[in-house]
Amino acid sequence: MICAGIDIGAVNTAVVVLEGDRITGSRVLDSFEESLDPRQVTDLLLEKSGIRWEDVRAFVATGRGRNGCTFAQKTGSDVACQARGAYWLFPSARTIMNLGAEASRVVSLDQHGRVISFATNDKCAAGSGLFLDSMAHLMNLDVSEIGEFALKAGSAIEVSSRCAVFAESEVISHIHKGESRENILAGLHTAVADRIFELSCKLTFMPDLVLTGGVAKNIAVVKLIEKKLGTPALVPSNPGIVGALGAALIARSIRE
Amino acid sequence: MDIKLDLLRQNRHDMARLWKKETGGKVVGVFCCNVPEELIYAAGMLPVRLMGEKEEASEADLHFPSNCCPYVKRSFDQGLKHRYDYLDGIIVPNTCDMVRAMYGTWKMNLDIPFAYFLEVPQRISPRGIEFFRERILDFKGGLEEWSGCEITAKAIEDAIETYNLNRRLLQSAGRFRQDGLLSGVECQNMVISSMFMPKDEHNRLMGAFLEEAARRDTPPLGVRLLISASMLDNSDFIRLLEECGGSVVADDMPAGSRYFFYSVNHSSDPFFALAERYLVQVPCPRKMLPRDRFEFIKQVMEETGAEGAVIHNLKACDCHLYEYPYLKKMLQDLGLPVLFFRGEETEAEQETQRDDIEAFIEMIRG
Repeated sequence: MICAGIDIGAVNTAVVVLEGDRITGSRVLDSFEESLDPRQVTDLLLEKSGIRWEDVRAFVATGRGRNGCTFAQKTGSDVACQARGAYWLFPSARTIMNLGAEASRVVSLDQHGRVISFATNDKCAAGSGLFLDSMAHLMNLDVSEIGEFALKAGSAIEVSSRCAVFAESEVISHIHKGESRENILAGLHTAVADRIFELSCKLTFMPDLVLTGGVAKNIAVVKLIEKKLGTPALVPSNPGIVGALGAALIARSIRE
Repeated sequence: MDIKLDLLRQNRHDMARLWKKETGGKVVGVFCCNVPEELIYAAGMLPVRLMGEKEEASEADLHFPSNCCPYVKRSFDQGLKHRYDYLDGIIVPNTCDMVRAMYGTWKMNLDIPFAYFLEVPQRISPRGIEFFRERILDFKGGLEEWSGCEITAKAIEDAIETYNLNRRLLQSAGRFRQDGLLSGVECQNMVISSMFMPKDEHNRLMGAFLEEAARRDTPPLGVRLLISASMLDNSDFIRLLEECGGSVVADDMPAGSRYFFYSVNHSSDPFFALAERYLVQVPCPRKMLPRDRFEFIKQVMEETGAEGAVIHNLKACDCHLYEYPYLKKMLQDLGLPVLFFRGEETEAEQETQRDDIEAFIEMIRG
């Protein structure tokens, strides 16, 4: 039986196709850059995987744009889908940190993978993926390389401002003072990790820890969170598809 | 029926103007649940709760810093935008710092013929009740001096009866909500409409509404929720909770049970009875200590079988925010999942809130 899940996030759209217990296809696209709507993203993936629309028995949508998805039979919250996907990949998962473009959330699971509590960031952009994106842009770097840069820092500068807009002017003044990009980036990454750590303090932390979402690809964020929590983090090979995977798993359970 | 109740709030200014035209009486704006409205009603005036609108507080923003209560700011904004031009007076109790400041702010900026500052004690105690009784007598004197008419003992007695009947009807609405005969939205719309309509008229409306509700088939309830909130002067947030699969079966809110939960006891001294009711009522966190409020919440939770608690505090509502960690702990110790929001009650906020509410409902359903 073929089921699929789509995660329509603030920046990326991810689709996962599941056949039985096997992921037969997945795709993550930047919705803005590619100018593709969720239907077109799914069309591309299905075509590439050699699957026809009519063969997909159930479709579940998640993410910020889930309610606008016309072809899904059901929607699932980000919390439920991230939890479902992460637990399927790592059954030892008890705490999930989902680090998205706009939202960060921490979810606690019991041994059966059920959500027992969760916390999400407030509407402030500091600490989000978009914050790192704009800081990378400010330093003429691609967001995919800033983590490596931050790890090369001699010492991290302190970013005192918690506001994304004020942090930008603070970074500019550090650039003018001649501070190295590595040290500035180390400071920014520390600020991001601090925000996520604070969020996790609202819940009772239990290992194993799983990191999901596009920001989990950032090696410096991963290492800083591991250091803060004193525990290694499990990171899926493609952390950006975990929500869509969870949605596909929910779709499968509708049909079972 | 729900649509009609919604319309009442929307048309509240026109209704007040019409009442004034037909009766020639005075309309008095009131802040908070601490003002004994019975005396205003007994004086032949119409008490109306001051409320804001979900729009940019463009006028009030020029007067206040950004870190202040959105409810108080929006109410004042309505005044500055001339939507409360029909008011003859306002009554401001010293509920919290922001409301207290409204006495001077309204007086200095708006052409209000009568502004009265009512002192309400912070401590619930026999001495507090005695102190408040004296202030209520002063308040009666203030109203009489302003209107030039005596407020008779008979008028006060009748007003207490009319208000107690309204409370009983709202309490019935609360029980209907618990049984699923009324939604949380309908129940809150009833409370809100009671806050600006003449009570005798509202009693008639409620009677008809409850009679109709009693004949309904009970629909299956969603996840049973208790909501604890600072001022929510519209039903949008409760509508969101119910759209996401929740059923609000109990509340701890100013525009909710705090307004109707306890009646005024008949006693030989109506001023003592009013002081007791308004001070001891379901306590607002501006009073010391949180114990009584928490006991009330615990009790309604058990009675209504609430499966989860949603706490909604307005930004900068210090009174509620200070008590939040203890309330959260109390609820969690009872095994109840808690979802917390702190915001400004804007349309934009609702989308992010929807995500969390859906996740919360899914979590409770398991």
